[in-house]
Amino acid sequence: MSEARAWGWVASLRDGGTTPWSAWATEADRTGRLLPGAQQLEVLRRVNLAAAAAGRRADPTLVERVLTASAPGRGRPDLELRGAVPPAAYGPPPVDPAELPADELLRVATNLLAEDLVATGVPPLPRPRWRRPGPSYRVAGTPWPAEAVREEMLRRGRPPGPRPGVVAVLGHDVATMTELAYVARAFAEGGPSWADWVRHAAAGPRPAPRADLVAMARAWGERVGPGRVTVVLDHAGLPRLLGTRRALSEPVVPSADVTDLARRTSEPLGLLVLPDAQSALLRRTLLPRVADRPGPPLRLDEAGLAWARETGDRVRREVEAADYAVVGNPERLVPTRGPDEVGTGPDDDRVLALAIDLLVEGPR
Amino acid sequence: MTEGRAVGTRKIILHVGTPKTGTSYAQDVLFRNRVRLGLHGILYPADRFDAHFLAALDLMRLRWGGLEEEAIGQWDRLAEQVRRHPGTSIISHEILATASRSQVGRALESLGHGSGGPDEPEVHVVLSVRDLTRQIPAEWQENVKHRRSFRYSRFLELIRDPERSTRLASWFWGVQEIPSILDRWAHDLPPERVHLVTVPPSGGAPEVLWQRFAEAFDLRGLDLDLETGRSNPSLGVPEIALLRRVNRAVNKQIPPDHYRPLVRELLAHQTLSQRRTTPRLGLPPALRQWVGDLERSWVDEITTRGYHVIGDVGELVGSPQMEGTEAEKAATPWADPDRPRERAVARAAVAAIAALLVDNARMREEEARLRAELHETQLALERAYLRPTYRARAKVVRRLESEPAGRAVMKGYRRLRGRSSRSA
Repeated sequence: MSEARAWGWVASLRDGGTTPWSAWATEADRTGRLLPGAQQLEVLRRVNLAAAAAGRRADPTLVERVLTASAPGRGRPDLELRGAVPPAAYGPPPVDPAELPADELLRVATNLLAEDLVATGVPPLPRPRWRRPGPSYRVAGTPWPAEAVREEMLRRGRPPGPRPGVVAVLGHDVATMTELAYVARAFAEGGPSWADWVRHAAAGPRPAPRADLVAMARAWGERVGPGRVTVVLDHAGLPRLLGTRRALSEPVVPSADVTDLARRTSEPLGLLVLPDAQSALLRRTLLPRVADRPGPPLRLDEAGLAWARETGDRVRREVEAADYAVVGNPERLVPTRGPDEVGTGPDDDRVLALAIDLLVEGPR
Repeated sequence: MTEGRAVGTRKIILHVGTPKTGTSYAQDVLFRNRVRLGLHGILYPADRFDAHFLAALDLMRLRWGGLEEEAIGQWDRLAEQVRRHPGTSIISHEILATASRSQVGRALESLGHGSGGPDEPEVHVVLSVRDLTRQIPAEWQENVKHRRSFRYSRFLELIRDPERSTRLASWFWGVQEIPSILDRWAHDLPPERVHLVTVPPSGGAPEVLWQRFAEAFDLRGLDLDLETGRSNPSLGVPEIALLRRVNRAVNKQIPPDHYRPLVRELLAHQTLSQRRTTPRLGLPPALRQWVGDLERSWVDEITTRGYHVIGDVGELVGSPQMEGTEAEKAATPWADPDRPRERAVARAAVAAIAALLVDNARMREEEARLRAELHETQLALERAYLRPTYRARAKVVRRLESEPAGRAVMKGYRRLRGRSSRSA
């Protein structure tokens, strides 16, 4: 039982050490007001491991930031190291930091990552100096690709008009729309975990609001008149509708782990900046750094897919019965996935590894 | 602590908790008297009684029903005001109790503690405390008043989890575990600068608690206005059982901005809390031994540490039945809010319906008044439209808008007039 042993471990971690607490024995003098929490120390050990794997040492500034970091929000407080402090009749039980779940370490890591994003700032959107002529339009529908189309049209000098002649409501099959609605949410205001969210989103009589194609088309129909609304299911027809000749590129859909990292980072980020900046930092600062990280995509499980097929069939009938123009076959709204394309989601350990990698890389 | 008002001494009093110990009342007294305090060199830097709540949210990076956006940067602003003040400054909010060690470190550093310079302030930590026997039921009740719908038994089960692995348990102990809070906030302060204000037992004179706060805040001898409407009234067992059922029924339909005025204020505070004859919520008999042991161990720990206790540290060991005379306490059986007397709940529900109907009638009258006002405005507008000069101008505009040259004239006219409206 020795606090000096704990200070010895802190000194070793400051020096790039990677030895787990349970294997540590050397003592040292106190170097701070209080011992950092077990979560912070274990995150620092993981940072050192990642830095060593990359053949370098962790940045000293990062090391001190980790040691003085706090896990934001409600959750377990900074925990004592098991064996470093005498047993007390109060306080949470001390822990072996190596036994802490990744979820607990991610609270600390994403807090630091959010600070890094704020320090980096949002890169400006490249915009041409001149506006190109073309029909006035709006793009709505499946949030993730719709946002990508809007950005690309801006880059081409074609901002949306105040009184659109055409509103393109992008649609996908209900399973894909549900998954992409979650991705868009994760890269904006965050929210519940994929498992918790999908339990409600893929259960009700209607798709989630951001995945409800008919509701979105109806809302735009009420604003501009149904005659100006076109539901776009075959995306090859979109450029012609928007009056642009070049094809519009398909947006990169991040993996389940990247999506979960954005969701978790969104939480502390929302405590540092206002919502518009929160979303911009996640989409334009974080995403380009992690978009190409490999990993399984978000996929509904078997039960979710059965719900999506049933709901997709209902949505197809609603689209066919409505007055909107439709580009593409409404049959596309019903998912047709194979059995090997179901039930994948984020993994806490992989998400933590990703967060640690980004911390080691530092703000860019 | 009266020597703290001596000229040239910078002192910071940090009141960091705990909830349900008269903190709203103390903050309101400080806020209402802030000008008078200022004359004595004492700063309570606030533009509303609970202004330090936002600063606490910012310091601890806590979400709180959308308020976190308003909280961004508030702690640094508060710390700057305090650093600039040459006399005594008071910071008070009960959720600061749950700040982590590193957050406390950041807070103290931002206030200048530990700088070692000649300007380093004298930091005092104040913790107002109440026995767990009263705090446990009060915390569950507070949870129910914040939309939660779990049973009392579930709450008790969660807070007894030794790992404290749920958010509820970690929050509860974060704001209630006195030795742990003081470890975080007062670890490197001499014990004479750590002041524990104990809340007197129920039924005592109401001014006693303020007198204790006044001593802790170094305000004795100041003539302050102590009248305040701030209180956080408690509910009886049938009333809290009813409120839990209401939460279950309306949580999905009533958004937070309606819940607070309708359920929390109108139903809970203004209506149900007025029913004072129903049994009060207490600890179940099976838990009294455990809670009593815990309370006694905390009292031992506090006594050993030698803090400045204002009140009686023995008051931290609670009496199982909290209110009423000793005879009433002995005669009253424990009332279980998970199995309330349904007739009592029905009576509370009738009172709630009556309050809602009265409020609804008030709103209907207000709606009728606004409708009448709107109707009068519409009539006045129509009268204006019927004037010959208006009709002539409208005709000119319609004619101009019908051809390209006229539209250009109108565009120029609007630009000159400085508006883009297309109205005639």
